[in-house]
Amino acid sequence: MEPLLLKVALVAYLLAAGALGRYLLVLHPAPRVLGLSLLLAAFLGHGGAIVMRSIAAGHVAVITDYEALSLFAWLIVGVYLAVELRYRLPAVGAVVAPLAFAVTLGAFAFYSGVRELPPNLRSAWLPVHVALAFLGNAVLALAFCVSLVYLFHERQLKEKRVGRRMRRLPSLETLDQLNYRALACGFPLLTLGIVTGALWGKYSWGHFWSWEEREVFSLILWFLYAGLLQARIVAGWRGRRLATVTIIGFAVVLASFVFGHVLFPGKHGGTFD
Amino acid sequence: MGRDILIVGLSHRTAPVAVRERLGFSPADLPAALARLTQLEGVHEAAIVSTCNRVEVVACVDEEARGLDTKITEFLGAERNIARDEFASHLYVHCGRKGVRHLFRVAASLDSMVVGEPQILGQVKEHYEEAALAGTSGSVLHRVFHRAFAVAKRVRTETAIAGKAVSIASVAVDLARTIFESFADKTAMLIGAGTMSEIAARHLKTHGIASIVVATRTFERAVALAREFDGIPVPFDRVAEYLKLADVVIGSASASEYLVTPALVQEVLRARKQRPMFFIDLAVPRNFDPAINALDNVYLYDIDDLGVAVAGNVEEREREAVRAEAIVEEEVERYWRWFASLEVVPTIVAIRTKVEAIRQHELEKALATLKDQAPRHRELLDALTSSIVNKILHAPISSLKRQDEHGEELDLIASARRLFDLELPPSPPDDEESS
Repeated sequence: MEPLLLKVALVAYLLAAGALGRYLLVLHPAPRVLGLSLLLAAFLGHGGAIVMRSIAAGHVAVITDYEALSLFAWLIVGVYLAVELRYRLPAVGAVVAPLAFAVTLGAFAFYSGVRELPPNLRSAWLPVHVALAFLGNAVLALAFCVSLVYLFHERQLKEKRVGRRMRRLPSLETLDQLNYRALACGFPLLTLGIVTGALWGKYSWGHFWSWEEREVFSLILWFLYAGLLQARIVAGWRGRRLATVTIIGFAVVLASFVFGHVLFPGKHGGTFD
Repeated sequence: MGRDILIVGLSHRTAPVAVRERLGFSPADLPAALARLTQLEGVHEAAIVSTCNRVEVVACVDEEARGLDTKITEFLGAERNIARDEFASHLYVHCGRKGVRHLFRVAASLDSMVVGEPQILGQVKEHYEEAALAGTSGSVLHRVFHRAFAVAKRVRTETAIAGKAVSIASVAVDLARTIFESFADKTAMLIGAGTMSEIAARHLKTHGIASIVVATRTFERAVALAREFDGIPVPFDRVAEYLKLADVVIGSASASEYLVTPALVQEVLRARKQRPMFFIDLAVPRNFDPAINALDNVYLYDIDDLGVAVAGNVEEREREAVRAEAIVEEEVERYWRWFASLEVVPTIVAIRTKVEAIRQHELEKALATLKDQAPRHRELLDALTSSIVNKILHAPISSLKRQDEHGEELDLIASARRLFDLELPPSPPDDEESS
């Protein structure tokens, strides 16, 4: 039942991506409503799948790679939908939907059954640490999507390709501000994720830091974003530069997953010894 | 010797702004340039229409004169001090009926960058008046220009072309809105004052821009404009200092060099903490160095870029344009029939033929009533009538010939035709009703 629900959500993500992509090209507003409805339906279905799996496992379903990726995709869409409530950003949705589709598809590549929670993870720290870290990454993923739209829009403007597509894009000011806010939000989440991880590590394994790939990458990311925020506040870094570094930051997130889960699985990759 | 209408020029359709800005005439240069233009052999009358989107010589020339387009090209190059090969390939030449059609289309705003935009008619009028003041426009140009104004009016009242027009200014404001989410905390700066930049400022004002800074060469003008927009006048030589306040900068100052350079903008951006700037260059020659578009967080659109943006949504306007073209075609046909009938030689021939026919007819009638039809009588009557006819016709025909030599008073031919009851086109062009 749960994988089936996720598959339905997967198809809905793809359809939403198509509809929102179409919205950018046609003047009619119908695809926007359709796309957002599909995305919301997919989000609810996906959430249902995660809840069912968590109930079946008896703990928050974030232990296996499959679960981690699935939760990540779900949170990205959730963060986007929350933002969409305030700003009207269907153009960003046109990037978020295919990203959600890709990450969910990636989850299926790592599909595995429910796993028993190792004893040393049975802690109240688990939901706290996971929620903060995943939410942080999801916010950064949204910043990545916003940055892509920003770069696209900026390029259209610079190259003077002004057409009806331009009217579908949020203003550069909004995109830049949103990107900045996402960073300003994602950074504390990332920090808290690292701190709670360290504290939990101290309690469970007896040391704050174990230099695991995931931890190293998180640290790199932390310095990257700290520097970026500093540059924004002090030197007024914005626009194209901010967007470019945000995209690099997200590449680090992806790299940390590939290293942490696929190449050198450690605690964060489902190996907890 | 007949007259012809010759147009040599270039426009936004054939030449980029980089060429147009160098070839444009400022109003102050016009009288002297027009005088030199009419000194060219074979050029009887001339006007120069020079706007940001076109530079055209409209001339009344000898029908038989050869190579006048080359001479006018050389004239343009010499006047504006540009090597021939830098602009000659962008030129078009229209004569005769095609010339008339071109002028009608320009005045009716069918050849405009934004089809249907209303400014062009005023600009053509102004430039015609310059020529009239300079004394280089005579009866031919007078007629064709006034006809063009009337056609433009007809197009505007009979089609919805002007109603559907999107102005450059409104497109500029739309673009500003894709950069800035809200104007409520933004400042615009006008450098120089032109019709279009004033319209743009008004658009920004209605979209809620917080403040407008105005810098014009004469401070009084800046003060007057600033009052109109509730803005702040600043001295023209302090533009650089105030630039850092501006999110939207609209340039329409007449200046031979760039007023804003990349180095200046870089400095300004540092002071602004890189907050984005949108430069709108409505001036020809341009006010802003095109290189500033390459800077981060800076967007520069010149008049050509905006024209392309305008061309985006055209469907309805194009339908109206088709109707407008039909009106122009009809008017060209009417005008041309009239114009062609006003040649001196055909008029003289027509008068002679008509009078000769009357004489022959009356001669035969008189001879028929004579009992004694001696050849002597016929010769006598023939000589008598011929001599009377020739004596009477002598004065009007020499007047017509004289006016041909002087190239004045086209109306005389029309009057002659009317007096002798010669065929005239059904409705001769009336001057545009006073407006």
